[in-house]
Amino acid sequence: MNFEEIKYKVINNIRIKPEEGLFLLQKAPILELGELAAFVREVKNPSPYVTFVVDTNPNYTNICTIDCIFCAFYRHPGEEGEYTYSVDELIQKFRESAAMGVTTILLQGGVNPNLSLDYYIELVNRTTKELPDIHPHFFSVSEIVGMAEVSRLSIEEVLRKLWDAGLRTLPGGGAEILSNRIKKKISNKKETADQWLDVMRTAHKIGYKSTATMMYGHIEKDEDIIEHLESLRKLQDETGGFTAFIPWSFKPGNTPLEKIIPHYASSTRYLQIIALSRIYLDNFAHIQASWFSEGKKIGQIALHFGADDFGGTLLEENVHAAANYVSKTNTDEVINLIKEAGFIPAQRTTLYQIIKIFE
Amino acid sequence: MEILFRDKSLIPIWNKLLNGERLTFDDGLALFRTNDLISLGKMANWFSYQKSGDAVYFVLNRKIEHTNICVLSCKFCDFAKKKGEPGAYEMTTEEILSKLSSGIREVHITGAMPPDWKWERYLDIVQSINDKFPEIDIKAYTAVEIDFFHKKFKKSIEEILIELKNAGLKTMPGGGAEIFSERVRRLLFNQKIGEKSWLEIHKTAHRLGIPSNATMLYGHIETLEERVKHLIKLREAQDETGGFLTFIPLAFQPGDTGIKPKNNFTSAIDDLKTIAVSRLMLDNFPHIKAYWVMLTEEVAAIALNFGADDIDGTVGEEHIAHDAGAISPMKLAQDRIIKIIKEAGKIAVERDVFYNPLKIYGRNIIGKIPYLNSIPIYHNLKIDSYFTLPLFPHRLGEMMSNGYIDAGLISLVDYLNNKEKLNLSRWCLSSREKVQSVLLFSKYKLEELENKKIGITDETSTSVKLLKVILEKKYKINALFEEFHQPKISFQEFDAVLLIGDNALNKYKAQNPEFNYKFDLAEEWFQWQNLPFVFAVWVERKDLLPNLSDDIIKTVELNIQKNFDELSAIVKQYRFGVKLTDEEIIEYLKGFNYKIGDEELSAIRKFEELIRETK
Repeated sequence: MNFEEIKYKVINNIRIKPEEGLFLLQKAPILELGELAAFVREVKNPSPYVTFVVDTNPNYTNICTIDCIFCAFYRHPGEEGEYTYSVDELIQKFRESAAMGVTTILLQGGVNPNLSLDYYIELVNRTTKELPDIHPHFFSVSEIVGMAEVSRLSIEEVLRKLWDAGLRTLPGGGAEILSNRIKKKISNKKETADQWLDVMRTAHKIGYKSTATMMYGHIEKDEDIIEHLESLRKLQDETGGFTAFIPWSFKPGNTPLEKIIPHYASSTRYLQIIALSRIYLDNFAHIQASWFSEGKKIGQIALHFGADDFGGTLLEENVHAAANYVSKTNTDEVINLIKEAGFIPAQRTTLYQIIKIFE
Repeated sequence: MEILFRDKSLIPIWNKLLNGERLTFDDGLALFRTNDLISLGKMANWFSYQKSGDAVYFVLNRKIEHTNICVLSCKFCDFAKKKGEPGAYEMTTEEILSKLSSGIREVHITGAMPPDWKWERYLDIVQSINDKFPEIDIKAYTAVEIDFFHKKFKKSIEEILIELKNAGLKTMPGGGAEIFSERVRRLLFNQKIGEKSWLEIHKTAHRLGIPSNATMLYGHIETLEERVKHLIKLREAQDETGGFLTFIPLAFQPGDTGIKPKNNFTSAIDDLKTIAVSRLMLDNFPHIKAYWVMLTEEVAAIALNFGADDIDGTVGEEHIAHDAGAISPMKLAQDRIIKIIKEAGKIAVERDVFYNPLKIYGRNIIGKIPYLNSIPIYHNLKIDSYFTLPLFPHRLGEMMSNGYIDAGLISLVDYLNNKEKLNLSRWCLSSREKVQSVLLFSKYKLEELENKKIGITDETSTSVKLLKVILEKKYKINALFEEFHQPKISFQEFDAVLLIGDNALNKYKAQNPEFNYKFDLAEEWFQWQNLPFVFAVWVERKDLLPNLSDDIIKTVELNIQKNFDELSAIVKQYRFGVKLTDEEIIEYLKGFNYKIGDEELSAIRKFEELIRETK
């Protein structure tokens, strides 16, 4: 196996194997990888546009019982600083966001056992009815699993009820690294890798679209990253339900994992992951540069390494902020960042339809 | 290396680089204007590899700003205060010393220009650090400060610099260059020295044996044309003196300057382009620095693949990573820097102020002598999972002996000193009769050098021994030897000078009115011993796994064969910095023998005997 052979396959649109993915991750110089990823990006999406969505990312609760060791955000029930918003409070927040031009609300929480399924259904129902300009992009897999447990319904039943209430897309968080071995170590009480994939499979079959994420840079090995990408590629072959892939690096600040991992992954590693995922996930339309987790400057560079989407404007975000990692921006700034990087900014919907181009 | 150019206008520029041609003003502009970031990066990374191999240098350092009280008021400066203003401060020498500790290798001292300091105070800072911490190299006072001292204390630039050098100054920082443009100077920093004084002060320092750095402040109101002109002016100055060590592009930090909105920082794309274009335009600068304090750690990390081969250092109080409690910030910063360099796919080399390597963090390293004569072995040498580190023979020997390097062409003397650790392989660098690149330039004939002072380049390991053997055994002469640092421009204080490698080649070609004689040491040896002289040998560490060793030997064998077949095409790439025509380069290379035979082995034995008998 050598780089030239793999490059030939990629340029000729031949799917690469897991061991070839591993070779690229471990042996390919970063600019060779980036060049190849930029090539794939141009073939797949030849437009000079880089898309973004005007969104906000509030958290309806920080109560959580899952105890992930990479998280600095959650509180246990009854712990100081815990909070849970009522449906009324959330609708009010959404209304304010809508007035600021937000089109998508990416809503996630802790997994709060005190909330009934009705709370979630009502929230979706009222959002779609009362705020027609807002697209609800609600609830990660862990929360769906939590709802099923609280309501004693199946995952499919929960997903159908939410669909009937008007939910159409799911955020792809909580995937971390889709390896049962790793997930057991860093988020023992969360769903397993297989469960995460099963929930997404079920959702896609109902008609949902979702994103997929990956959090790397903690205790995973290179092989685990390839396993993650391979699992996503397989499921995407089966369902076609993923809109985009969004990797980000683990931020150790204020988390129990900090003692084991004092240094987060470098920016070179991030660009490698972006480029590799663009090459490996040949059935994903979009790769998202997470300016939010990696910084605005690295977000700009990622656009030259295979990413074609700049994510959301994230007017509110709490999870990274709890790990002392704060990166605030707004729509004008996102537009400017994309322009500076040499691309044309284009505002999109949650489902990646372009609604406005900023020439 | 193949580049999938998306911007086709870069192709002619790439071809120029492959032909060893210097880039023009228009080329520089085209590079700045391209949106093909990856192709630009690949070109710059390739060029950086020609200079520094896979190395990225860092230093354990500390920055000291002794005062912020300043008589100037530059518009872009957010640092300076007037005396008595809230936040104004002055540090005593004791306070400065208290900021330093053993373990630090370089201190960088710059400050504002206060109205009432005495000259002795500046000297005292340097002298006291040098007395208390002799292992800390002192890099101090920008050209702007030197000019201020010159005017305020009524001493010539030379006097100022000589006094500082005698107090312990090793190098000068590159600050204060801003952007070489009268237009911008008038608008933003009209009280500061302009390009002429800045360049003159640096050239003077170089002539006095004080190397320095150069900077460019970008991302304010300057045009791309002004940036390219700035780079070309630095390149011309470097052609004259060779005294610049590294170039550091500095991204403008808007702060409260009012020149730009507070948060309007340069874009990452502009930062990377500036690093890359600098690397390609400044073909005569040994190093390009990605100064993480200004660029952010994240962009600096990426810059290591866009032409930068230095990431500065631990700096001290600046915070490179989050605080993990028990570990000291210095150790944490060092660990972080090493991690960043490794993840960039490079090897981390801890350095001193002159870029001498102190420690290498990484394995699987092939050492390389960075001279033209080693290209038949090293051109396109790619050994699976191995890194390449070019070092001057003397430093390469040290690093090999310390176990940092697995294999490579090393100076003969370093092999002889480390025979118990190293296996001799089948290649060498030897020459019969003339070698052209190991030369003694002298005011006297060899037999007249008794008690004369001979300057010795600090690059050499073997040639200096060869010179001593020849003088002592062949001519029965005892001379005095004194080591000097490259780059050096004036050799006035010496009666003779030993130069090796490309410096010797260039001086061989140049007019040398100060020296009447030049002696080719290989020729001297041949006439005496009727044997070739072996300057360097290919060795491998004895404890290397046999399969690795086999891999290396096979790859090198094939590579030498291939390179000799394509010699005329290859040499073009190596014209930078060498004042020879292609034909002369080929002629020069063909004068070497690269295979060890019986004669070479006899020559090695003979030389070994002779050095044993020499003082």
